[in-house]
Amino acid sequence: MKNITEAKKWMHKIKELDLPDTPIRIMNVCGGHERSITHAGLRGVLPEQVELVPGPGCPVCVCPEEDVYAAIQVSLNHDVTLVAFGDMLRVPVNVPRSQARSLEEAKAKGADIRPIASPMEAVAIADANPNRTVVFFAAGFETTMAPVAAMLAFEERPNLKVLISGRLTWPAVALLLDSDSPGFDCLVAPGHVATVMGGDEWRFVAEKHKLPAAVAGFEPDSLLAAFYSTLRQFTEGSAFLDNCYQELVTDEGNQPAQSIMQRVFKVTDANWRGIGIIPQSGFELAEAYQHLDARNDYPAYHEEARQKAGENPPGCDCAQVVLAKIRPNECRLYGKACTPRTPYGPCMVSDEGACRIWWAGGLR
Amino acid sequence: MQDKYIRLAHGNGGRLMRELIDSLISPYLPKDLDTTLDASPVPVRSGMEMLMSTDSFTVQPLFFPGGNIGHLAVHGTVNDLAVSGAEPSHLTLNLVLEEGLAASELEIVMAGFAEAANAAGVKVCAGDTKVVPKGQGSGIYMVTTGIGWKSPELELSMHCIQAGDKIVVSGSVGDHGIAVMMAREQFGLSGDVKSDAACVLPFTRVGRDISGVRFMRDPTRGGVATVLHELQITTELGIEIDESAVPVKPAVRSVCDLLGYDPYYLACEGRVVAVVAAEHAEALVAQWRALPDGQEAAIIGEFVAAQDGVWLNTPLGGQRYLEQLEDEPLPRIC
Repeated sequence: MKNITEAKKWMHKIKELDLPDTPIRIMNVCGGHERSITHAGLRGVLPEQVELVPGPGCPVCVCPEEDVYAAIQVSLNHDVTLVAFGDMLRVPVNVPRSQARSLEEAKAKGADIRPIASPMEAVAIADANPNRTVVFFAAGFETTMAPVAAMLAFEERPNLKVLISGRLTWPAVALLLDSDSPGFDCLVAPGHVATVMGGDEWRFVAEKHKLPAAVAGFEPDSLLAAFYSTLRQFTEGSAFLDNCYQELVTDEGNQPAQSIMQRVFKVTDANWRGIGIIPQSGFELAEAYQHLDARNDYPAYHEEARQKAGENPPGCDCAQVVLAKIRPNECRLYGKACTPRTPYGPCMVSDEGACRIWWAGGLR
Repeated sequence: MQDKYIRLAHGNGGRLMRELIDSLISPYLPKDLDTTLDASPVPVRSGMEMLMSTDSFTVQPLFFPGGNIGHLAVHGTVNDLAVSGAEPSHLTLNLVLEEGLAASELEIVMAGFAEAANAAGVKVCAGDTKVVPKGQGSGIYMVTTGIGWKSPELELSMHCIQAGDKIVVSGSVGDHGIAVMMAREQFGLSGDVKSDAACVLPFTRVGRDISGVRFMRDPTRGGVATVLHELQITTELGIEIDESAVPVKPAVRSVCDLLGYDPYYLACEGRVVAVVAAEHAEALVAQWRALPDGQEAAIIGEFVAAQDGVWLNTPLGGQRYLEQLEDEPLPRIC
């Protein structure tokens, strides 16, 4: 139980800090972090003025509604097998109840939809069905888009097309920091994203915006080390980027992976569900890979007349939760109209979604 | 049997069906079973209550590390009788075979069935075989119904549970769920996790003899968490689990961490969860640990009056709620 001993050491060091009495908000930007925090019960073991805030860390939650709608329509209206990561299947879109509101409902209506866990499964399904088109609805952050890029670069198949809905993490944090009220005092940067893209990507938080920041892994000891680092910086009035996940994270990150991503994708302005366009925050296929883009083969399904297209459902505060403006239990629908069994907004669907994690962890 | 694969004709009641039963099924059933009868007599044990239980088996794949669907078909029903306090004696066996199934696979499944039935000391007393067209089954479906005998003095019921009672598990949790998942090769993972599929009678016999054991259950689908929720809802007491006390094999823990699963929701096929009066809990654990496969038995938590719901006390001193299983566990996205 080395991790537990180590974690307790960091807990003790945090308690010894001379913290101000005013609230200190530490934001994370990774559903995995939020999940580890809630699973280990870390909120209950920190000094009471420290608030752990979930931020924009769930790719399912910010995947544009119109992209999910398009995926549903492609699966229903064309003779294809649609594959997607498991937790995209239950994300609801804004259509009348008589229509398929999620990929799961489209599947029940007869569409050929299969959940997968890795891009190589999409390749395997394409190989097993050479006469059938397989459309891979690929939503995710850098950690997911890196293996998607490798799949496109090295495992191209004539019958495998992609519907890309990838996003970069840091531009959402930059958006918050550039606003009048960022809503947090310290940042815990995502360990897996930094493994791929490098810790350097997060230096702007400390250097430009003068906020304490630390990259953390996913075990309680690494998270507590990052909390200690940022809290100590905060009390001392300093700000730098600390690396509390040195086992995997370097300043530069995984450069072969980055160069494949640069070859396969180009970075564009992109829509985040309920939030709007964030500059330079999305991946789309580069010119040389356009022939693999399913968007070129099927109608766009951007229907202007569709009610609430592109938005969250009425009354849903998911966007405010994602932007760390409110906590999940401050949404009026939380645990009432919106539960894991009948999710109303996307944050209640995925295991990466703050609402789902909080509800499952008993936070009421 | 001449055919290497099951054909529709093997279910037609005629010569081919007789050949199938004689060559692939009967050899794995009790020698004194009279397959010419339409119904079998089952001797009544006087002074005992007769308990019945039934279960169907559709596991995919049919074979996994540590067992096959044949073993499960025995354990599923026998274990339900065992945790109810009964000594199982007889089983019925229904086989639904899919056209095209390899005879060799059926033979391995029947050998697994026989092995498990002999180990549990249960006799097959009736059965039926059907063949369905290709595409309408998934190899083999099995259904078993079991009869067992319980002393009328033995009272095991959720309604006997009181605040302060301890919760004990007989071994590591989640092994079967992960073994089956790995056998499906869905995630490209490999490892040496074996299913815990086993007959739990040795454990329940001990449980029957310790006064203070109030209730036993085998945590199958939905895992330990689902048993705890049922207990919580029925007793209207709170449950606190000490997370660091729950035995989880390191390999199971690793796969769970990787895929975002919680081992508490994964199926076991050879474990018992018991609720026991606090003063008898140590004795139960000590006797279970002395059994083969019982070394990891542990007290994992207790019933409390002050709290509502099922809560995990984490090793760092925090607490989190263990929610009821909502949907099929899905792998997470990043």
